[in-house]
Amino acid sequence: MVEVRALCKSWGPRPALRDVGFAIGSGEIVGILGPNGAGKTTTMRILTGYLAATSGEVRVAGHDVLDDPDAVKRHVGYLPETPPLYPELTVGQSLRFVAELRGYDRRARVLAAGTAMERVGLGGWEDRRVGTLSKGYRQRVGIAQAILHAPPVLILDEPTSGLDPAQVGEIRALIRALAGSHTVLLSTHVLAEVEAMCPRAVVLAAGRVRADGPLDALRAATGDGGWVEAEVRGVAPRVLGEVPGVAWVEPGEADADGWIPLRMKAADPARPSIAAAVQVAGGQLRALRWCLPSLQDTFLSLTRDP
Amino acid sequence: MSAAWAVWRKELAIYAATPLAYVLAAVTLSLAGLFFWLGVALTGEASLRVMLSDLAVAQLFIVPMLTMRSVAEERRQGTLELLLTCPVSPGAIVVGKWLAALTLCGIVLAATGVFPVVLAMYGDPDWGVIATSYLGLGCVSAAFCAAGLFASTLTDDHVAAGLLGIVMLLPLWLLAGAERVLPRAWAERLAPLGLVGHLQSFGHGILDTADLAYFAALGCGFLVLATHRLEGRRWR
Repeated sequence: MVEVRALCKSWGPRPALRDVGFAIGSGEIVGILGPNGAGKTTTMRILTGYLAATSGEVRVAGHDVLDDPDAVKRHVGYLPETPPLYPELTVGQSLRFVAELRGYDRRARVLAAGTAMERVGLGGWEDRRVGTLSKGYRQRVGIAQAILHAPPVLILDEPTSGLDPAQVGEIRALIRALAGSHTVLLSTHVLAEVEAMCPRAVVLAAGRVRADGPLDALRAATGDGGWVEAEVRGVAPRVLGEVPGVAWVEPGEADADGWIPLRMKAADPARPSIAAAVQVAGGQLRALRWCLPSLQDTFLSLTRDP
Repeated sequence: MSAAWAVWRKELAIYAATPLAYVLAAVTLSLAGLFFWLGVALTGEASLRVMLSDLAVAQLFIVPMLTMRSVAEERRQGTLELLLTCPVSPGAIVVGKWLAALTLCGIVLAATGVFPVVLAMYGDPDWGVIATSYLGLGCVSAAFCAAGLFASTLTDDHVAAGLLGIVMLLPLWLLAGAERVLPRAWAERLAPLGLVGHLQSFGHGILDTADLAYFAALGCGFLVLATHRLEGRRWR
């Protein structure tokens, strides 16, 4: 649905994007993850036809953004980082204006505006001035403007930034609901956002794609993958180091009752053998956990300067 | 072109919801009243000659104030991103905004229609001259709105945009006095570019295609420049 190849953008001598490439299939929800200044907004602006790339190719729903920007604009709904709203207009006026811009006739305008308001939970807010709305509701108006023409592709730039936790939850639920009928590309520097909504992430740092794939694959690709944590009593840690599949054992301080926390470099399937070895040695086992590096660790290691 | 009407309607809704347009209309109408009284009292003529030519000068300062927000505010607010990510040509956006500002000027000019009515009650004005004078003022407004709109595409600061508009138009007006400061040969060459010369014939009841072409060229030129600014933004 969205194809980006060898995308470069520079302002003068300063490169903002360097050889960015990814492809998004129909119906996917993909998060563009990266620290501030990584090039997330620039990428999205090029995808929506707002900015032109220095070089590279972008196709949305089969249309080239440079050759046929209007076709791309018809297929894309876009919510910029600050929702583009006119505080002087009412919610209804704003949506009917966008519908008219997109070439809807009078009846279709009213219909499309009404449907969009219902979908984002703004039913009954039609006559409120946008300037008097709370941030969360403004975000809803922004999303309503973006989905009004039922675009197959939805591009959301930091859709939850600056909202309070309750509003973040509401907007996330809304985006998840929209994901059923749109291909969604959203950007964020908040890890939890990707974890909560996107099965797949494209990690962008300093204008380059650092990683692209399902979250678990990203975790596995960075650092040493996972490890096993255990708490044992009455068994020497070195005994467990001899279990097949365990590379090394790092014992911690034993507590007052004699329980020793252990960190073992081992694969997830080695856990039953570890449990069996503890039993054979006549020891006790209180915990045996498979651990993955947190997304935070993954993110930091991916976006660190090489 | 439906996009131009969408923008026109939206602009008028915003003008109606903000104080700027009302303040400027009030200022223009007060000045018109003052100019009307001065013109009639000083010359003793039943004509709008003084009022209309002075209003043209006032427009030079007022119209850029009216148009200063039009693109600058969209840029500042981020709504330009909304307009330009819809399948709409920058030309349609510019035309819609220009027509909206011009509509407002038209409403204010229509309100000054009370003055010729007063003249008709007490004297015998030349309706032909009044009609051409209003046409001249309309041409001035159209050209000034275009210039102000272009100024507004140059910066995202309102006040700077307003001042830029005035600064762009001021030389056109000052050319009338050019022979006093410039060498004769230069002044003669620049004279056809001056505003005042092209307005005079309207005030005398004469419609000269050269004058109409002057204002059309001025207006279209600035509209093309403004469109160009919006288009070029994609590449920066």
